[in-house]
Amino acid sequence: MHQTTSTASHPRGSLELVRRFFANVPLLAWFCGALVAVILERAVGLSMAQSLGMPRIPVLFGFLVFLKQPALIPGALGYVLLMNILPICITAKIGAPVFNLVSRILYKMPLVVTALVHLAVLYAVFHFWADVNAYRMIMLKMMLISILLTLSLNVINGYMGEFSCSHPGFMALGAYAASLFTVGLFVNDQLFGPAMMTSDYAVVFFPLGLFFTGLVSALGALVIAIPSFKTRGDYLAIISLAFTFIIKSVLENLEFLGGPRGLSGQPDWSSLPMVFIIVVFGVWVINNFVTSTMGKALNAVRDDEIAAEAMTVDTRKTKIIAFMFAAFWAGVAGGLFAHVLRFVNPSTFGIQKLAEVLAMVYFGGLNSVYGSIVGAVSISLLGEALRPLEILKWIIIPLLLILVMIFRPRGLISFKEFNIHNLLKPRG
Amino acid sequence: MKKSLVGLMSLTVVFLLAMVLSGCGEKEQADAPKKAVENVIKIGFPIPLTGDIPDVGESSKNAAEMILKQVNEAGGLEVGGVKYKLQFIYDDNESKAESAVAATTKLITVDEVLAIIGPQASKQAVPAGGVADNYKTPMISPWSTNPNATLNRPYVFRGCFLDPFQGPVAANFVTDEFGATKAAVLYDIASDYPKGLAEYFKKAFEELHGPGSVVAFETFTTKDVDFSAQLTNIIRANPDVLFVPQYYNEVPLIVKQAGALGWDKPIMGSDSWGSGDLMGLCGDDCKGHFFSTHYAAAGATGATKDFIEGYQAVYGKTPDDVAALTWDSVNIMLQAIKDTGGLTGNLANDREAVKNALGAVTNFDGITGEMTFTPDGDPIKCAVVVKIDDEGQFSFYESVCP
Repeated sequence: MHQTTSTASHPRGSLELVRRFFANVPLLAWFCGALVAVILERAVGLSMAQSLGMPRIPVLFGFLVFLKQPALIPGALGYVLLMNILPICITAKIGAPVFNLVSRILYKMPLVVTALVHLAVLYAVFHFWADVNAYRMIMLKMMLISILLTLSLNVINGYMGEFSCSHPGFMALGAYAASLFTVGLFVNDQLFGPAMMTSDYAVVFFPLGLFFTGLVSALGALVIAIPSFKTRGDYLAIISLAFTFIIKSVLENLEFLGGPRGLSGQPDWSSLPMVFIIVVFGVWVINNFVTSTMGKALNAVRDDEIAAEAMTVDTRKTKIIAFMFAAFWAGVAGGLFAHVLRFVNPSTFGIQKLAEVLAMVYFGGLNSVYGSIVGAVSISLLGEALRPLEILKWIIIPLLLILVMIFRPRGLISFKEFNIHNLLKPRG
Repeated sequence: MKKSLVGLMSLTVVFLLAMVLSGCGEKEQADAPKKAVENVIKIGFPIPLTGDIPDVGESSKNAAEMILKQVNEAGGLEVGGVKYKLQFIYDDNESKAESAVAATTKLITVDEVLAIIGPQASKQAVPAGGVADNYKTPMISPWSTNPNATLNRPYVFRGCFLDPFQGPVAANFVTDEFGATKAAVLYDIASDYPKGLAEYFKKAFEELHGPGSVVAFETFTTKDVDFSAQLTNIIRANPDVLFVPQYYNEVPLIVKQAGALGWDKPIMGSDSWGSGDLMGLCGDDCKGHFFSTHYAAAGATGATKDFIEGYQAVYGKTPDDVAALTWDSVNIMLQAIKDTGGLTGNLANDREAVKNALGAVTNFDGITGEMTFTPDGDPIKCAVVVKIDDEGQFSFYESVCP
């Protein structure tokens, strides 16, 4: 991301040049470069920011400074360049031979080991970056959760080609099921009485709870999956939209879940390592799912259902599994979401949430794991960075979406396989 | 190829050098005014400037800006013998729970505000209150009525009375004023505030007149516009009064449709009637009805009158209850900051001191009545019942104290 921001103002020729300049840099080097940058920021970030005339470290790559205090723009730009872009690029480029060597050794090991090493470095980057400020932490958690949510919706809307609007519903089921689990069992609460268990084993119980949460959402998905045998396209969209409304109304009328007042008091269990591990695990499982035979069956159903049926694809089974699988992960994302906010209410999971998730999927790109990650990261980052613009934000982001739809009708990075081997291999 | 690459690199280096140099220059310049603006108290406002209820955000901002101007023009706020300039930071919570959490976290940890005023609606105030309490930052939500916003949160306070108080106020008023023995209620079941209030009204009314005295308890769902089925049921049950704890955008529809179906008895409302442009939407139909609220704009005296006139002069409209409650909440916060007897400059200690001072505020004389905080952070204050008079003004009718 950083190398593209630094060159966005240059013509295409120099962009190609920069790409070639960094061609021998493996992914590990980029991650380590980012690690160097965040450690550097932790060590000298504050004094650097102050020497550039800013009272504190700019939290979101200087975005908030650009919008609120134009006088500090040069300082913020300089800071981003000195603290973020340059350390990454220099470490990556100069360290490239060393990192290639390490990459080559890692590459010979089993893929799991290679991937885990990369992920460990990535986690360290996140950890140090978010450690600077609690605001970064909450942004990062929200971003990671929206990646999982977007990817799970992409399974239905991208890989299977159905237009489903039921994701806020699945998410709501997950958020409430997880809250019920934690608030009901582990917290002294006025609705459910005193805690039945101690929260010493949160690390064990929370993932377990999220698993059951996912199962609850998956069961809910049957309501959509079964009508989807008979209807497609717009009609399925309407049914799934109705599902979202039904879930919302039911939650509003269930008194023991707090009704419209919502549920609060969830324990603070969505810590960064927890969110990171669950989201990475989710992305890995979904990626395996869509590249398996089942994934190909999904694509076959999307392209021509009758032909797929003729080619021995069990379309009913495919649809049921796809819906339940996507709903499972949406439910898990909902559970994490509820524990980051530590509050859920039915009106959170309405049309606005739907528009947000759909925007992330279509902005990033259909039928692509890369696309979902890009879409979720960019929409959530932009959404937060442009929030100080108030009403203008609601013009700029939709406008961006329209432009993307004009120039890249299927999203920024669509129909691209997430090739882990290719991503992690040494480059020279 | 190589040449342009070198060019690019050198350009970057030059750019960088220029950056650093200009940065250093800036620093020297910045040092001088820094000393002058050192004595600043920052207060954060995570309020809904966009989203479902932008009117509420705007009213809060207007009221806050008035105080800001007043205090800063007088040279600042004097705390322990030192004058502090006020700085208010407004952050949009988009009427969303997750944005309210993000905005509040940003205000507390990035902008490092001393205290928080807002968010207004409960669905943002409950999660934001959690954040404020977590970071030990005093917060007053002027408008939130959900008990969970302040419950078990020593750092969170509110500026308005709660529904368990307002429900009985309305029930007692209709009993005394209209001699009502049978009442009907029409409310939005999907919305937190009307639902809670409807239930408290029902409970209070049935305590006065026995079970079954609420003869019709009809519901609808947010964004419904046709109430004729519910209103027909209500009219058939023949109650003496109709209680409608709804927002200003729904009340006109309900009142007009009730009139068209032949309802000619009084309608009682709640404080949500007073915000937004009720009379512009409702016209003559709402005249003659009553509602309970925080303050009455028409016929006000003293400080309330000054506030209303000042607000009208700047913004060209009568302040609604959100503006009045925000005004009181900001003033009570400033009073608490003064009561600390001096700030140390250590944010954590100062926040703790402000919280303690807030808890100790007694009989604060606000424009919405006298306020004293209970240990839970909820104020004990009076409600007023206003009548919508023939000129469409909300005029004071009577005051009800706990």
